[in-house]
Amino acid sequence: MTQHNQKASLFLKNAERAAWHDETLWMVRQKRDKAASDVPEWERLREQASQIKMHTLSKHYEYLTRFEEMAKNNGVQIHWASTATRLNEIVYQIIKENNASKVVKSKSMLTEECGLNPYLEKKGIEIIDTDLGERIIQLRKEPPSHIVMPAIHLSKEEISELFHNQLHSEKDNSDPTYLASIARLHLRQKFLESEVAITGVNFAVAENGAVVVCTNEGNADLGVHAAPVQIHCMGIEKVIPRMSDLAVFIRLLARSATGQSITTYTSHYLTPKPGGQMHIVIVDNGRSELLKKADYRDSLKCIRCGACMNTCPVYRRSGGHSYHYVIPGPIGSILAPHKHRNNYKDLPFASSLCGSCSNVCPVKINIHGQLYRWRQDISKESTFFHWKKSIMKIAGKILSSNTIYNLSGKVTRWSIIHLPRVIIYNRLNIWGKDRELPKVSGESFKQWYYNKYEKQGQNGQK
Amino acid sequence: MDRNKILYNIQRNEIVSIKLPNPIDLQITGINKLDIFKKKIPQTGGDCIEVKTTKALITYLNEHFTYATNFREKEVFNEFTATYPTERLAILKTVIIDGQFGVAENGSVWINDSNFPNRLIPFITEVLVLCLNSEQIVSDMHEAYIKINNDITGFGVFMSGPSKTSDIEQHLVYGAHGAKKLIVIIYHENVVE
Repeated sequence: MTQHNQKASLFLKNAERAAWHDETLWMVRQKRDKAASDVPEWERLREQASQIKMHTLSKHYEYLTRFEEMAKNNGVQIHWASTATRLNEIVYQIIKENNASKVVKSKSMLTEECGLNPYLEKKGIEIIDTDLGERIIQLRKEPPSHIVMPAIHLSKEEISELFHNQLHSEKDNSDPTYLASIARLHLRQKFLESEVAITGVNFAVAENGAVVVCTNEGNADLGVHAAPVQIHCMGIEKVIPRMSDLAVFIRLLARSATGQSITTYTSHYLTPKPGGQMHIVIVDNGRSELLKKADYRDSLKCIRCGACMNTCPVYRRSGGHSYHYVIPGPIGSILAPHKHRNNYKDLPFASSLCGSCSNVCPVKINIHGQLYRWRQDISKESTFFHWKKSIMKIAGKILSSNTIYNLSGKVTRWSIIHLPRVIIYNRLNIWGKDRELPKVSGESFKQWYYNKYEKQGQNGQK
Repeated sequence: MDRNKILYNIQRNEIVSIKLPNPIDLQITGINKLDIFKKKIPQTGGDCIEVKTTKALITYLNEHFTYATNFREKEVFNEFTATYPTERLAILKTVIIDGQFGVAENGSVWINDSNFPNRLIPFITEVLVLCLNSEQIVSDMHEAYIKINNDITGFGVFMSGPSKTSDIEQHLVYGAHGAKKLIVIIYHENVVE
């Protein structure tokens, strides 16, 4: 069993929870469908978004340096980090220079990818995630299971218990409104105390140096405007050319993510607040390598909406943690093997290749195409799938010979009907695990067709 | 050092250049933007009130938000500076500010540095009241960014409804961190009583 298989079976042990997870994410997908169909030019927006991203990637040097120049003109301090470690060092340096020890952070998959929290904690810095879902999993010392809904794997009872133990909320009160109000009080205090606020970045505009952050809770803004020092961490792929391009992406993002027309807050930060500091850290961490690979470059268009997860039949039924990478689901399964091929070689296979992810992707990444591409690349060099390969070889032999094909069909049908259950549902028959094989007919399709039509001289014509 | 390394790595990729498409401008006409906007606000969890004139707006604010901190008033605006102590902003209950314009397609309102003296104000208050001129409504985000582009300030935000979260079992809760209630009051400037 692969890691994904093992972790998925752990998730599936709680059948009720797994069913809830599946249905809930499907509901989010349906909200997305409704939101998309309310926009007549939806497909035009997707195509436009894809072209803007492809164009920007092809002129990446120009746009990044332009962005840097404009942001500097706005009074922003720009830092460049080639690796995860460098990002962590730079952020720590800024914190230290300001003699700070209390930091708040709004959602950022990039800092999650770089392991910023554990790094700063080791240095004695208090770093508090302020998105409710992120705070919940931070208190549980768990990674997020979804990029937009980080605590989607938890029940309100589990959150109630967690809050009771750590934030002294009422025991057994699992009313979401009550729990959210407890978090509001707890985090309000953290916002007011904080000396440095860190955010991720949804979009960075080259023409004027703006960084744009989208949230529903308002946690990015409470952090940024309350703390004297603000730090925005962005991957190099976040840059877009113009303000007018923002219109396209903002229209697509929330609709694809949650089915909202727009997030509650879409904030544009250009200059530091009077008397404050504004820093932007531009992070590579493997992205420029990915840019080199023509076959996979497409995945750098991703705007992290999570639509591919919500629609994925495998994700919905296996949970985000089964992907054992910081970004789960279809897009994560493409990105992960670029980071560490051997650790994540199972992920491109954790897919049915149904293509639903590609159809909902707001920037038209050929997600299932890339997963298939990965499968080919991984299979070529790995002995990992030798069992599957041998089966395919045998299947090839059988399918290429009429006689063997007919014979093996006969044997299979006879076996399934006559052999005892223990033999058919043996350990090697993975299809028989947790499910029944289909009912077998006494004759093959060929026989049935022959008897019905050809024998009577109708030659298939009715 | 990191800068050069990253930029060198990017530059040595020879990616076939793809043309930047022209901005989308839908130029939507023949729709009632105000009506669509008004219908959209409740969907974002916000409240929408419409008054007839600028005079009626002032009367309404005085009657219904007597104790609010009203940043439409110059003295109030000047009292709260950009470096005003955060702890004192934290006790704000109801804040009134002017909105720049509304976006019909999503019920959001654009506000920026010129509408509030301290950036924390619209986020830290419990109730936020946005006053909006009925003529300042655009149909979609494409129009919105054309409008913003010419005079973008140091900070600006599209706000749609109160702060919200669905992070606990997808139950929608208002007032996660920011305003628990958002009220948009639309007034008609050029209507004579």
